[in-house]
Amino acid sequence: MTCRPEYVKECKCPDEVMNCIRETLGESLLDIELRERWDGCPRRVLYRDIWVRFERGAYLSLVDRLRTIDFLHFHVMSGNDDGDVVTLNVHCSLFREAGEGHRIGITLSVPIPKNDLSIASLGSRIPGTEFSEREMREMLGIHFEGLVNTNLVFLPEDWDEEIKPWRRDETGPSPENIRELS
Amino acid sequence: MARERNPIQVIYLAERICGICSFSHIVAFVRAVEDAAKIEVPIRAQYIRSLVLELERIHSHILWAGVACYTFGYDSAFNLGMLLREKVMDVLEALTGNRVNYGVGTVGGVRRDLTPKAAAVVREMIAFYRREFETFLDVVTEDPIAKARMRNVGVLSPEDAVTYCALGPTARGSGLRVDLRHTSPYEAYGDLGVKPVVPQDYTGEVYGDVYDRFLVRVMEVIQSLDLLEKIVDGIPEGPITWEPKLPKVLASLKAADGTGWGIIEAPRGDDTHIVKLTKGEDNLTWWKVRAPTYSNAVSWPLMFMNQEIADAPLIINSIDPCISCMERILVSDEKIGRSEIVTKAQMMEKCREKTRRLMGA
Repeated sequence: MTCRPEYVKECKCPDEVMNCIRETLGESLLDIELRERWDGCPRRVLYRDIWVRFERGAYLSLVDRLRTIDFLHFHVMSGNDDGDVVTLNVHCSLFREAGEGHRIGITLSVPIPKNDLSIASLGSRIPGTEFSEREMREMLGIHFEGLVNTNLVFLPEDWDEEIKPWRRDETGPSPENIRELS
Repeated sequence: MARERNPIQVIYLAERICGICSFSHIVAFVRAVEDAAKIEVPIRAQYIRSLVLELERIHSHILWAGVACYTFGYDSAFNLGMLLREKVMDVLEALTGNRVNYGVGTVGGVRRDLTPKAAAVVREMIAFYRREFETFLDVVTEDPIAKARMRNVGVLSPEDAVTYCALGPTARGSGLRVDLRHTSPYEAYGDLGVKPVVPQDYTGEVYGDVYDRFLVRVMEVIQSLDLLEKIVDGIPEGPITWEPKLPKVLASLKAADGTGWGIIEAPRGDDTHIVKLTKGEDNLTWWKVRAPTYSNAVSWPLMFMNQEIADAPLIINSIDPCISCMERILVSDEKIGRSEIVTKAQMMEKCREKTRRLMGA
């Protein structure tokens, strides 16, 4: 599937998007939540985020499904070492150009087991993900299948790549790797 | 650093991520914390946050425009930009006590109220810029040399701006009507009727070049003046914090458990902070910051294609990058297999020399 270089003008409401996510994920869905912010005077909801947590196997199918609704605008990836798994959060949005109050933020949260720390790259679908995937690779050790450029982004060129700065296990930095600032 | 600090302490780290858009980082950070802890901010505090955000946008855009002019050797416009920028910095100092790192934001609200005296200072500033900024607009949009240096330079097509996830004035300069103040209004922006500034609304066409990005920022200064006027006229009465007692705030944050996402339209594009709070923990579990340059820099290779080295500083500058220590580039010529380090000073000289060439000097 190629990128759609335009946004749809008719957007869906959060419930429709959530139903679409539920249908696509089926039993892979672990959790889904709609968050609404009440802002302004008088108070009203113009800011919405959907948080969805699901199993890794459905990652590409969900991204592809969402991209049929609108170009999935990518903001950034975040992640954490959560013990047996590394959680990858992909922060995106739909309807970024669809008019006042219509954007919906979406966080795709995927637990990846440490004994097989890999997931598909989104680079061919969303070129803007490259820096984030390289960052998650060097900081957490996630292998992105299909990521072409694996050069370091933030760490120095002579960095020992066995050390993953954001990990909290034996692959994380040891005290001698850390220089305390005053 | 942040893992050893509670969310209130981390505010002061967030504020120091950038010297220009320090308040943008604070607002994105505290909104992420408020999202994780389910904290609602009083309306008056939302208006004050929007007020400082717009002052910061004016500061950032005028500074950027001045530096852009300096880059291609238009020193008189640079000096004018620096002169005009002083006014908004004086206003920020009058409001907050500081010219940078204002110390205004906190979880659940703000730490400084807008007094009638401060509101009068803002009104006076609005009148000043409406009178004086037009001159700057004319200088940089009517001058044929300035236009020759910026038109058709560093082009980013609308399609590439979408797929490479460009943000803020970089995306709007390519004609995309994207602005979080419009499509995801936060704080007081839902009451202010913000419309994305795009070049086609002013010139009737989109080039997606350095000139269009320049135009967007200059017109956004004028837009910010209108927004500030609406804020000062419409700010409601009421408290400025969700909870004024700091120990109670910290206790609520310690009881919270969840991940929060804060995203706002900073001067350079959307600024994203994500925060994880764990119940029973005083300190943040983790914190992710993504400043707009991180996303906009992905589009640089597209903008550089088929351009002169002399235009590189202008193209780099056109996304308003926040890279404090960049002082050289590696230029590779694949055809002859040669690479060469070009220093910042060499690049700037090439850029300014091209302007002199165009002027026939």
